[in-house]
Amino acid sequence: MTTRLHQAAALNRRGLLKFSLGATLFLGGASLVGCSPATAAPGYRILRDDDLPMLRAVTPVVLQGTAAPLEQVLARLDEALASLSPEMLKLTRQLFDVLALPFTRGPLTGIWGPWQQASPQAIEAFLRRWRDSSLNLLRQGYCSLLQLLLMAWYSLPGSWGACGYPGPPKI
Amino acid sequence: MPVSDPFREGLARGWKARDASALDHHLDLETDIAIIGSGAGGATSAELLSAAGYRVLLIEEGPLKTSSDFHMLENEAYASLYQEGIGRLSKDGAITILQGRAVGGTTLINWTSSFRTPEPTLRHWASTHGVEGHGVDDLAPWFERMERRLGIAPWQMPPNANNDVLRRGCAALGLDWKVIPRNVRGCWNLGYCGMGCPVNAKQSMLVTSIPAALEEGAELLYLARAEYLEHDGERIEALHCVAMDPQCVAPTDRRIRVRARHYVLAGGGINSPALLLRSKAPDPHRLLGKRTFLHLVNFSAARFAEPVNPFYGAPQSIYSDHFQWRNGIDGPMGYKLEVPPLHPALAATLLGGFGEDNALRMADLPNTHVMLALLRDGFHPQSIGGSVELRSDGSPVLDYSVSPYAWDGVRRAFHSMAEIQFAAGAESVQPLHAASRPAHNLAEARAMIDGLDLQLFLTRLGSAHVMGGCAMGKDPAQSVCDSLGRHHQLENLSIHDGSLFPTSIGANPQLSVYAIAARLSQLLGERLATPSGDLVHSAFGR
Repeated sequence: MTTRLHQAAALNRRGLLKFSLGATLFLGGASLVGCSPATAAPGYRILRDDDLPMLRAVTPVVLQGTAAPLEQVLARLDEALASLSPEMLKLTRQLFDVLALPFTRGPLTGIWGPWQQASPQAIEAFLRRWRDSSLNLLRQGYCSLLQLLLMAWYSLPGSWGACGYPGPPKI
Repeated sequence: MPVSDPFREGLARGWKARDASALDHHLDLETDIAIIGSGAGGATSAELLSAAGYRVLLIEEGPLKTSSDFHMLENEAYASLYQEGIGRLSKDGAITILQGRAVGGTTLINWTSSFRTPEPTLRHWASTHGVEGHGVDDLAPWFERMERRLGIAPWQMPPNANNDVLRRGCAALGLDWKVIPRNVRGCWNLGYCGMGCPVNAKQSMLVTSIPAALEEGAELLYLARAEYLEHDGERIEALHCVAMDPQCVAPTDRRIRVRARHYVLAGGGINSPALLLRSKAPDPHRLLGKRTFLHLVNFSAARFAEPVNPFYGAPQSIYSDHFQWRNGIDGPMGYKLEVPPLHPALAATLLGGFGEDNALRMADLPNTHVMLALLRDGFHPQSIGGSVELRSDGSPVLDYSVSPYAWDGVRRAFHSMAEIQFAAGAESVQPLHAASRPAHNLAEARAMIDGLDLQLFLTRLGSAHVMGGCAMGKDPAQSVCDSLGRHHQLENLSIHDGSLFPTSIGANPQLSVYAIAARLSQLLGERLATPSGDLVHSAFGR
């Protein structure tokens, strides 16, 4: 418990700046905390087993208010990741690692337990914290995560009806 | 009625094109002129030089996709036609950079706006950057020639509702606005220029200069990444390429060596300087990749009571230069106002947000208009642009800082756009920033814009125009190439693309690239004809 309190204290503004050394893991080398293996989960080309609990928890919160079917969004996300340049994929995987690994997830997101047990309110708080952070790194992580999920969902024809887009014309 | 696919028909007739991803062995090729990059600069050069009788090999990193492949679907287009699978960002991740990567380059996916290089820009290049022979009168015949070649004319049909907001707002306020010249013939007014034109109306390089070059016997090698130039500090001996996989993500283990009399580099901003950096090309004054400009873009959204349907119709047909030159060439940053098309995936990333807010905003897409400002960078001492660097794997990334001078331009552009949107009848206006909310009148918008914390990631920033990094000019201490595009140190290398520009253009750059590449190619062809023309075999040995 004392450990948790200590880490929670790191989340106030000054503490978070001190924590920026840890936050460089985010881009510099998640390998320092033990990078997840690059093997894809069954049924996916890119997404790994360790990425899925986070994505299954965060995606419904980001896309709340839409009728997005989770597995279709993840499949579309997987396709998009497969076309990224190796360097951009590496950065994306480091973001997923930071979110998946308990060592970084707790202090940086405030989600202390497993993603499966995180409440939507806690996930919203994490998204707002990153969006409004004074650290470029966390704001960047927020933007990347949102863009990946939004582009995956809104490129699926199932999203178009609710945003009044009739789709491409017939030619 | 089925739409024909003239490129596939040409291939069936015997155009020489090779898919490097399918190679089962290494290749050694020889040609007169090797052209690296098949976009506006490379394809224009290929057409002129092959017409002049040279054997031309046109080398493209991206895939060959033709009109039958263009299904007007965002995910397909972004994955196959854009650099890094649309993942290209500035080094700090704050600026999305849209660049094409396929046979035809960015001309395949641009929004067809075609402007002559503004006269103040050309005068500034001559007076400040030592550029010779690119005066208004020097280039006028080349602009005319390329306008005829590519069907460039002001858009004849009424603007779509998204563009009409810009026209109405400017008209109500008495600001300058004009109709955008577009490079189209028989345009169907669909609105999918950014995903590859499915009806071959856009006069991209895919339907114009590349077919013309192939008809003359030029050869096309695609899915081949130019890795480095082998040289002795004075002359290039060979170009070394790696074959890419069919998705253009990673190299295969096949290599291609190309030997040519002359090499024309036309990979565009970022990729052209990167090839020279990987090649350790002479760079005695440390200028390579520096002063790379973006026309940094910020956005303002507005809601209208009547439908805008911003996903349909010619994506760009109205512009305003009212705020472009009024502070002088090098005063506070000037900007050009245009609008972007809004298809759901791209719109969602621009409008941002998560949860119910996002869902509600996206539900309003048919009534949403977005305006953008292209900030004219590179003209003021505090606007030095970015610097191209190599990552550990040799791929390039642009380090671009947004200066206080540029942020001032961003804020003024937010004000201008909000004013025009309200003047056009907007119910609400929202500058695209993480802390903004819809403002219901101009006073409310102005107060919000003045209070916005303009920082990276909070402010939505993008770019679709990468310029500079191999600047031209007469003084080797200030430029990478001379005013003819000849590399100052490597005698058989020319650069024919937007990386030559010593500043940004101040307008969508495709016509600048076409005209300058055409002029430089004509002169290159004349120079190469004077020494005895070596007989060279077909690049593919056929």
